[in-house]
Amino acid sequence: MSLYELLGTLETGFVFGLVALGAYLTFRILDFPDLTVEGSFPLGAAVCAALIVTLGWNPWLATGVAAVAGFAAGWTTAYLNVRFNILHILAGILLAISLYSINLRIMGGPNEPLLGVDTVFDTFGGFGVAGYVISPIFLGAVTLTVLILINLFLHTGWGIAMRAAGANPSMAQANGINVGSMKLFGVGLANAMTALAGALFAQIFGAADAYMGIGVIIVGLASVIVGTSLLPSRTILQATLACIAGAVLYRFAVALALNADFLGLRASDVQLVTAVLVALALIGQVSGIGIKRFFKTSKPK
Amino acid sequence: MIELKDIHVTFNKGTPLETPALRGVDFKVPTGQFVTVIGSNGAGKSTSLNVLAGIVPVERGTVTLGGEDITNWPVHKRARMISRVFQDPKIGTCEDLTILENFALAHGRTAPRGIRFAIERSMRAATAERVKVLGLGLENRLDDKVGLLSGGQRQAVSLLMATTGQSSVLLLDEHTAALDPKTADFVLETTRTIVERLGLTAVMVTHSMAQALSTGERTVMFHRGKIIFDASGKERAGMKVEDLLHLFKKTQGEELSDDNLLLG
Ligand SMILES: Nc1ncnc2c1ncn2[C@@H]1O[C@H](COP(=O)(O)OP(=O)(O)OP(=O)(O)O)[C@@H](O)[C@H]1O
Ligand SMILES: [Mg+2]
Repeated sequence: MSLYELLGTLETGFVFGLVALGAYLTFRILDFPDLTVEGSFPLGAAVCAALIVTLGWNPWLATGVAAVAGFAAGWTTAYLNVRFNILHILAGILLAISLYSINLRIMGGPNEPLLGVDTVFDTFGGFGVAGYVISPIFLGAVTLTVLILINLFLHTGWGIAMRAAGANPSMAQANGINVGSMKLFGVGLANAMTALAGALFAQIFGAADAYMGIGVIIVGLASVIVGTSLLPSRTILQATLACIAGAVLYRFAVALALNADFLGLRASDVQLVTAVLVALALIGQVSGIGIKRFFKTSKPK
Repeated sequence: MIELKDIHVTFNKGTPLETPALRGVDFKVPTGQFVTVIGSNGAGKSTSLNVLAGIVPVERGTVTLGGEDITNWPVHKRARMISRVFQDPKIGTCEDLTILENFALAHGRTAPRGIRFAIERSMRAATAERVKVLGLGLENRLDDKVGLLSGGQRQAVSLLMATTGQSSVLLLDEHTAALDPKTADFVLETTRTIVERLGLTAVMVTHSMAQALSTGERTVMFHRGKIIFDASGKERAGMKVEDLLHLFKKTQGEELSDDNLLLG
């Protein structure tokens, strides 16, 4: 693996670190398995690209609006669940499917190239360092900032209310917490982070694509599962750091698998590799708690 | 004052599993009164508390608190005025959070929560002082997750949490039932002290007739979704468990058939 490839892998690892933090928030904190991310990741990319290319917006502003759009998507999923009692997983699938069509509308086609326009990465053009060195540093800083903000938030009055709403809804209600509002806000927040990741991803690769959301949910989960089973994750700080580390490790695992010539894998095999990795992680995970229980049925005695 | 007026609740209405749980309950508790509630299994005691707390919607009737109709208020909104301790110690506290964080949550019931740190120094000091009274050494474990505590410790913490802030009504649903006798006595004694000191309006469900008669100042008995007996003052003061059984037989024309109720 060349230095160039290494930095590139690090770059996508950090971007998916944001997705992993979102998955941590929904799956672990809120106990809400959220599949909206399959749609909100490309939504972030589509909104950002359309604003920059079609409307000539400032890339930073466009990236911010992309995150807001992601929030709206997550909020809608939670609303379907809270207000109309639609099963969380199904609500997420409904949103992901409708976002597929919405994204095509936003971009006016299956993709939107970001050619010849300024992206957030062009802001650092004048520093005299090559872009491929700057961008992983920048993305690492973004992801760490989000991590710190989440850690701070989860220790505020609202933050512990959100943790209680996920961990013990009866107790949360009895303590005056509106559990529904917490879900709306939390799932919204997680999708804002995912859409932010999508917007940054599109700017790295120079295009937004309607299909770029496929498998995002699994990548997020893989990062959380791999990270928290390999690294200590007792405190929130440890767990969130583990999620980001998991995302980076996961990208390296994929890159290595694709690079290993003897395996004979192609780039298009990424989804299969991901799914196999997640399945292996689930099989290997010892503890019965956490994410696993959503996806494994209990063993017949 | 809290009041249930002509409350009807039927579970699984219109299905073969239809169960009438409450059939016209009128129950009025003046401010500052401590009432104990007894009744056989399935009599409707828990359902009544759930109606008060807002967990079970009513089919007919009204719930009022301090003269205000709160029948359609959601649970979390009522929680500002009504707090509760559950039978299961696991429900009353959040095991993933520390003792201190649990108290911060309870504090937020009556005070605004915000985007400030949930735990500041003054809260730590105040909480340490409160749990110290329990004599369980919890003041040294404020940063331990509640999941590490025993059932009795958790129930004691639940009780203190439920009496944090200025909510005025306390609902206790067999909150000592899951504990060993010694711990149960301890938690019950603590309950008496706190309710008296804070002058709370309290409703306590218990399965022990003796406990019901010796706690608080009034006792009501539920049977098949109705209140069949309500005693306070002198009438109750001279009462023994046998009198209760006798009374039940006289009014209902049958023997009370609940072994749990006869014990103690
Ligand atoms: N969630 C529910 N769904 C269906 N039926 C219920 C539900 N909760 C209570 N019931 C039924 O309502 C009736 C009253 O139950 P409730 O829990 O109020 O009794 P209880 O007096 O608290 O009894 P116990 O002493 O056993 O706790 C019972 O017949 C019970 O089976
Ligand atoms: Mg009961």
